[in-house]
Amino acid sequence: MKRSEVDVERSVHGSVFKRLMKYAVPYLHYMIAALVLVLIITGLDLYRPILMGKAIDLFAESADFNAVKTTAITYLLVLIGIFVCNVAQTYILQLTGQSIIYNIREEVFAHIHKLSLRFFDVTPVGRIVTRVTNDVEALHEMYANILVKLFRNMVKIIGLVVVMISLNAKISFYAFLLLPFIAGLTVLFKSVSRQTYRATRTKITAINTYLSEHLSGMKLIQIFAREREKNAEFEGKSKELFHANYREMMVFAIFRPSIYMLSVLSLVIIIAVGGDSVLKGAITVGTLYTFIQYINSFFEPIQELAEQFGTLQSAMASAEKIFTILDEEPLIVEKENPVHIENIKGRIEFDHVWFAYQDEDWILKDISFTIEPGQSVAFVGATGAGKSSILNLIGRYYDIQKGRILIDGVDIKDLSTDELRGAIGQVQQDVFIFTGDINSNIRLKNRDISDEDIKKAARYVNADTFIEKLNHTYEEAVTERGATFSAGQRQLLSFARTLAYDPAILVMDEATANIDTETELLIQEALEKLMKGRTTIMVAHRLSTIQHADKIIVMHKGELRESGTHQELLLNNGLYKKLYDLQLAGEK
Amino acid sequence: MLARYIRKYKGSYILGIITLFIVDLISLKIPQFTGEITDGLEAGTLSFHGVLRYIGLIVLVGGGMAIGRFFWRYFIFGASRRIEYELRNDMFSHLSKLSMRFYNEHKTGDLMAHFTNDLAAVRMSIGPAVITTFDAIIMTIMVVIKMVVYVNLKLTLLACIPMIFILIGGVFYGRAIERRFQDKQQAFSDLTDEVQESISGIRVIKAFVQERAELKSFAKANQNNKEKNLRVVKLQAVVMPLLDVIIGISSVITLFYGGYLVFEGQISTGQFVAFNSYIGMLVWPMIAAGDSITYFSQGSASMKRIDSIFMEVPEIKDEETVDRAITKLEGEISLNHLTFRFQESFPDVLKDVSVTIPKGSTLAILGKTGSGKTAIANLLLRMYNVEPGMITIDGRDIREIPLKTLRSQIAYVPQDNFLFSDTLQTNIAFGTRDLIDLPEHHKKFSLFQSKKERLDDRKETDLYSRENLIDQAYGDLDQVMDAAKMACIHENIMEFPSQYATMVGERGVTVSGGQKQRSSIARALMKDAPILILDDSLSAVDTNTEERILAHLKENRADKTTIIIAHRISTIQNADRILVLEDGKRAEYGTHEELIALGGHYAKLYKEQQLEKQLETA
Repeated sequence: MKRSEVDVERSVHGSVFKRLMKYAVPYLHYMIAALVLVLIITGLDLYRPILMGKAIDLFAESADFNAVKTTAITYLLVLIGIFVCNVAQTYILQLTGQSIIYNIREEVFAHIHKLSLRFFDVTPVGRIVTRVTNDVEALHEMYANILVKLFRNMVKIIGLVVVMISLNAKISFYAFLLLPFIAGLTVLFKSVSRQTYRATRTKITAINTYLSEHLSGMKLIQIFAREREKNAEFEGKSKELFHANYREMMVFAIFRPSIYMLSVLSLVIIIAVGGDSVLKGAITVGTLYTFIQYINSFFEPIQELAEQFGTLQSAMASAEKIFTILDEEPLIVEKENPVHIENIKGRIEFDHVWFAYQDEDWILKDISFTIEPGQSVAFVGATGAGKSSILNLIGRYYDIQKGRILIDGVDIKDLSTDELRGAIGQVQQDVFIFTGDINSNIRLKNRDISDEDIKKAARYVNADTFIEKLNHTYEEAVTERGATFSAGQRQLLSFARTLAYDPAILVMDEATANIDTETELLIQEALEKLMKGRTTIMVAHRLSTIQHADKIIVMHKGELRESGTHQELLLNNGLYKKLYDLQLAGEK
Repeated sequence: MLARYIRKYKGSYILGIITLFIVDLISLKIPQFTGEITDGLEAGTLSFHGVLRYIGLIVLVGGGMAIGRFFWRYFIFGASRRIEYELRNDMFSHLSKLSMRFYNEHKTGDLMAHFTNDLAAVRMSIGPAVITTFDAIIMTIMVVIKMVVYVNLKLTLLACIPMIFILIGGVFYGRAIERRFQDKQQAFSDLTDEVQESISGIRVIKAFVQERAELKSFAKANQNNKEKNLRVVKLQAVVMPLLDVIIGISSVITLFYGGYLVFEGQISTGQFVAFNSYIGMLVWPMIAAGDSITYFSQGSASMKRIDSIFMEVPEIKDEETVDRAITKLEGEISLNHLTFRFQESFPDVLKDVSVTIPKGSTLAILGKTGSGKTAIANLLLRMYNVEPGMITIDGRDIREIPLKTLRSQIAYVPQDNFLFSDTLQTNIAFGTRDLIDLPEHHKKFSLFQSKKERLDDRKETDLYSRENLIDQAYGDLDQVMDAAKMACIHENIMEFPSQYATMVGERGVTVSGGQKQRSSIARALMKDAPILILDDSLSAVDTNTEERILAHLKENRADKTTIIIAHRISTIQNADRILVLEDGKRAEYGTHEELIALGGHYAKLYKEQQLEKQLETA
């Protein structure tokens, strides 16, 4: 299932702007207020030269200092008025921009957390991080500045066009003669800049993805002394971004002077036509002068407009990527009115379950079994037999294609995933440790778990021995991915974490593989206490951990081959016996 | 720090600024020409032919300006992009030199933000900010000269008084904005971190149903980011319009003093009007100056953050005592009273451990969780420094051996089996591939992208074929297969649809823990190094496979040194010597038989594991 971003982008594209505007709706009144302020500022700005002119006139006529003083005070008041409006306008717009950004970020983040594991299987972390951080950031400029400026410039242009035509239609016609070229150039610019912006965003994502992976894997790079090679590889990626940036810069460097050149040509046309008319006595010099002034102020907003479209393009390029994520449907959909089970007892039933990660590549084929509450079951089999998949299916991290999975007699598709997963304690193969301290790693972000509970859980799984030896015991800072702890210590922490949540069902994936025999014995003992009253499902390689299970299920290539107790299976003389003999031979 | 990069491109900068200067100078010509045309037309002295002559001049000047505007962008923006590019590369290259201690203290998300947001802020300060600054300076000087030459020196001086406030205020503003901006960048870093961790740990979060709690804690970082941004904005929102007010005050001064001068007959009304319009022309340069200060302060705040990375001195590097002549190691290792702790305030991890590993022998290290086994491996790889003489290889102190030699002569299989998002072939060949000229992927600059490029950019997935190309370029599939066979992963790989071209890691297929571990072993074996360290690397492998791997090792590494860290007696009992660590101290040392006879910790463990087996058979 290779996700093609092209197709998704295309379907999204048409409505990108509309969708972006939806986020602005709650702040419409802010935006309108800002617009009103802009109009006031423009009005006051226009009033300034008039006031100045009045003062000059006053001097020339009477040199009446009192009258000048009044004018000066009025002028100062106008200045203050402009100042206040400007401050208010800028602040309102920035607040709007920041608030919208805040909302979008929250939405993206929340949406990502709703997505199924399948999404995270195929999407690199760096890419997701870029979407939430940099891509959303790129939208800010649009909401905070561009929209209002776009509006203002459009008003300006339309106003000027109306004034010019009313002044002299013929010269106006010549003044607008080059407009089709400008329009053509702008359209070309739009399409080129859209490409370049898109390319830049893609390269930024690529760099971030690379960084995210290689900064976490730096230790390995150093151990294998691959710094030089990895630097060269990074330089390659960096160069691609540089080229994309460079291209973007060149597009602007060519576009802006081109528009300027067109404005000069328009000016020249007006002078030629207007000059001719003046010489023929058709218009006055004053009219020509006014048109020369107007053509200058006409091109200023046009140039700005084109550039603002550019920024808009950049925002759209980011928005497309963001919406692609927002349009990603969670594969695991909760039922609208999920069934609530008061106390999950932990009876698990697989009823003719078929499962594949993609298409018909069956990982599990027609699996049926029942586990009674409190029972412990071990899955055995070679790698790829489908053991780990079974564990993932119980928590409904993936949906099955055929059959049913029932917890306490209820199809898990009818339960709320929160309730379901809350009842299952998972000990994962790769223990993930968060930055924070020991406490926060056991508690995660659940405030209901007290420090006492944490200590109790840690003691239970014998994690307290190593924790107590730390300088700050439970407050000892833990670095990213728990780099300062050994694999065994990380494993113990994850046990404590699972226990603190007191689940009805315990799911373990090769959890004991990384712990030394002595610690393992302690854990075994803790687990035995733990498994009492809890349904336990585990995948482990070593027979010593399995043989005490109430039931052993032997998997082979996605099929359930044998099941029973250790003794029963040995007597059966089947696959289990073979595996067992192999193991013994190996341990001898 | 930044100065060094700018110096490199000073040619570009100087050319850019000269172009800018010329453009500013000739920009005054066009209004002059249009003025002369209207004047000439009004006076009736200009014929249509004369108008055409002026038109020619305007087109010429306009064309010159258009070209000039292209070139200052090309010179200055181009240079700033190049500097950004070099800075980015140097940052990564510097990061690759920093030791584990640095990575233990710094988070990935935070470091990533340095590459994106901070670099962008620095670039703004050496690109657009340079333009606005010089543009503002050139314009101001030209306007002030006109004021003095055409109007009156005293009036100019008086009118410029409020602008002194801009200068003084600018310094304070610069400092304040720098501080606030630094906070803002930090907030963005924290936000990036929050997302990075949350996404990396998504499996745990989902398993423990912590999505809502994550959202809450993200909202906090998000809110903080918003507030810190608004703090910057608030200051800007006040200061920028204030510039306008100050210029306005200049106008008022002009009004009074200029009016007085007109009254006194020292200047004409025309000069007075002109002076007023000159003041108007100063508004833009002043606002540009405000912008420049903002850019520069933000750039400097970000540069400080970037500098703090560059200031990190790589702890582990080749020192003066290094002997560059050492390019190969034999593999005789000796630990002499090795004592080590991660940080001053931490307890000892290793205490007075002495042991010698002769060339070609196998040492097994056994011990409880946290007894210091992995620390020994890390120290042999010199991930941390120890006192001189504590570790020697081939009789030479570890610090005398060039780092590159040391690490290329040791093959290591770590506990956590990190694989890169790449093909299995590249991953296994990771340690052996030296730089070669790879098929160039990026092409020369062209304004328009080819269709294929566009598609590639959108998909972000063209890498697949690119990586296969790289694999082909190296052509080391045979050696990779040999290593994979030794690590007993070959059969598994051949079962994947794409075999050795299968992508693993973040973007690839899900490989099980055991498969990862064996790929990681293959990666180390591929190096065929004189020293091999297996750090608890057979834990996810069943005993049968373990035995096969160990047999392969024995066969292929007869005269080479091997260190095996493990928990299972079965893994280590055939080692030449066994070292048992307890709380960082050497508790027992000897052969399997010797240690059994000793009846200590090892013997006890052996009995326990034997007992377990008997239980199983029962």
